[in-house]
Amino acid sequence: MKFRCERDTLVEALGTAQRAVASRTGAPPVLFDVRITATNDGLELLGSDLEITNRVTAPADVERTGVAVLPKILGDVVRKLEAGPITLEVNDDEAIVSSGGFSTTLRLKAVDEYPRLQTSDGAGAKVDAQLFAGALRQVVKAASKDELRPPLTGVLIANRPDGQGIRMVATDSYRLAMRDLEGVSMLGDATKVLVAAKGLAEVQRLAGDGEIEVVLGERDAVFRTKKAEVTVRLIDADFPNYEQLIPKDYPNRLVVDKSAFRDAVERVVVVGQGRDNANVKLQMTSTSGLDLSVTLQDVGTSSGHIDAKYEGADLTIAFNPQFLLEGIDAVDADEIALDTLDHLKPATLRSANGGDFMYLLMPVRTS
Amino acid sequence: MRLIVANCSVQYQGRLGARLSPSIRLIVLKADGSIAIHSDAKAFKPLNWMNPPCTIIERDGAIRADTPKGESLVIELHEVLSDTKFEFGIDPGLEKDGVEAELQELLAARVSALREDYELLKREYYTDIGPVDLLCKDGEGRTVVVEIKRVGEIAGVEQLIRYQERLDLDSRFAPTVGVFVAQRFKPQAKVFATSKGIACIEVDLAQLRGEVQHNTLF
Repeated sequence: MKFRCERDTLVEALGTAQRAVASRTGAPPVLFDVRITATNDGLELLGSDLEITNRVTAPADVERTGVAVLPKILGDVVRKLEAGPITLEVNDDEAIVSSGGFSTTLRLKAVDEYPRLQTSDGAGAKVDAQLFAGALRQVVKAASKDELRPPLTGVLIANRPDGQGIRMVATDSYRLAMRDLEGVSMLGDATKVLVAAKGLAEVQRLAGDGEIEVVLGERDAVFRTKKAEVTVRLIDADFPNYEQLIPKDYPNRLVVDKSAFRDAVERVVVVGQGRDNANVKLQMTSTSGLDLSVTLQDVGTSSGHIDAKYEGADLTIAFNPQFLLEGIDAVDADEIALDTLDHLKPATLRSANGGDFMYLLMPVRTS
Repeated sequence: MRLIVANCSVQYQGRLGARLSPSIRLIVLKADGSIAIHSDAKAFKPLNWMNPPCTIIERDGAIRADTPKGESLVIELHEVLSDTKFEFGIDPGLEKDGVEAELQELLAARVSALREDYELLKREYYTDIGPVDLLCKDGEGRTVVVEIKRVGEIAGVEQLIRYQERLDLDSRFAPTVGVFVAQRFKPQAKVFATSKGIACIEVDLAQLRGEVQHNTLF
C-alpha cells in the first residue's frame, strides 16, 4: 500500500477514526489502532471499540492499493509534520511516513487480527442534520455514564405517542431530558430503540449540515453524515418507564431570562468549588422574584437576586448546580420556565413558550 | 493490663544489641501482647519495648519476649516491688474535638463511603508513634491506613507516611496502602501524596451526616 495525502486532510480523518478506538485496558490491542484501506477511490479510515465505529473517507493519490492496521501514534506523527503532501508506504510489517526531509517507521499489527465489523447496510431514513444534532445536544448529556446501569447509558428513540414524529429521552436518574421531533421518522418497523449515548455524542459532533441517513439494524444503528459514518450499538435493555415520572401539571411557575438565570447560578456557585454538597438554593416569591444562594460551611456563602416572574406559593428549592446549568443550557429559548410542585418533587425546565423540549430535574434535599 | 514495678535488668537482641543495667523500673504488659519498660523519666517514651506479635514467657524470675523476626527482650527481675493486674475492658477510643473527630466517627461507621470495598478493622489503632485514625482492609485484602484531617496539608501526608512505615514493619499488615482523607486539600499536599502513592479522598461532612440527600427520579 502506498499513497500521498495532504497533511491536514489526513490529520482530520485520523482524528475522527481515532475517537472511536478502544481506550479502556483489557480491550484487544488491535482495537487501539486504526485500519486504513487504500483503494483507487481514495482512503477509508476506520476506528472502533466494537461499541462505536467511526468510518471516514479521505481523498488521496493512491499509488498502490492495500489495507494496513496502523498504530494510534500515527496521528501524532502526521500532526507534527509540515503542512503539505505526506507519503505513507507499507512494506510487509512496517509503514514509512515521510514528508520533506523527515520520515518515521512504524511497526504494524497483522491485518487479519482486526475484527470483521459487520454493520447494517442499505438505505435508511433521512433526517435534517442540524435538527437532529440540536436534539442530541439537548438530550445526550442527561444520559448516565455509569456502565453498571446499562439502560441509563443510552438514549431512547421512540415513536411519539401521537405518532407524529419521534421522541428522544435520556436520564441518569437525577434528571431526564426529553425532546420531540415532530414529523421526523427514522424507526422503520420498530417502535423504539435504545442507542448508546456515547455514540450519539459522536453523531452530534460529526453531523455537519445537510442530511443524516439513519439505518437501524437488529444490533446497531448506522448514522451516515457528510463527514463520516458512525455505527453505534443498540442497548438490549428496558428503558425506565419515564412517562409516569412527568407531573401532569404544576401549581408554581417561575419565568426568568435564560442568560440572567445562567449567569446568576454561575456567580453564586463559585463559592461551592465544585463540591458535591454545594447545592444552589432558589427562593421564589411572587413579590421579590428569584433569590439564589450557595453556602459551603467551611468556605462561605454567595447569594444574588435577579428579576423573575413567579406565580404560586412561596418556595425554597435546591438543585445540584451542574445539573441545573446543563438544563438551562439545553433549553433553546430566551425565557425559561421553571415549574415546581414543592421542594421535594421533580421540577421542570422548558421554554416559557412551551416547545418540544423538557428537562425534568430532581431537587436536592437539604437540612 | 499488668503493671510490675521491679528492680530489673534488660537485655535486647535484634537489629542491635542493648542492655539496661539493674534499676527500679515500671514494666507494662498490655492485653494486646505488647511489653514496655519505663523509667521514672522520658515522659511517654519507654526505655525498651516489644510490639505484638511476640511470645512472652515468664520463668525463673525472668520475662522473655520473642518476635517472629528473631528479636528477643529478656527482663531479669531482681526484686519485685509491685505486681498488679487490671481488667480494662473495651476502650472507647480517643475523643477528638471538632470536625476531625466527627469525620472519624462518621467514616468509621461507614468506611464504604471512602471506597465500596473497604472494611473497618479498627478505629484509633494504636502504634508506638501514635494512633492511626482508621485501619481498614480493602477488597484485595490489603491493609489500608487512613489519616483524617479537616484540611489536607503536607504535614498530614508525612504523618500518614510515618504510620505506614511503622505498620509495614509488622508482617500482619505489610505492605500497607495509605489514604488521606480531608474536607479539602492544599494543592501541594495532593501533589506530595500522589507522588508517594497515597490516595486523597475529599469528603463532605454534611453528606456524611445525611444532611444532603441526592434524591432520584426512580
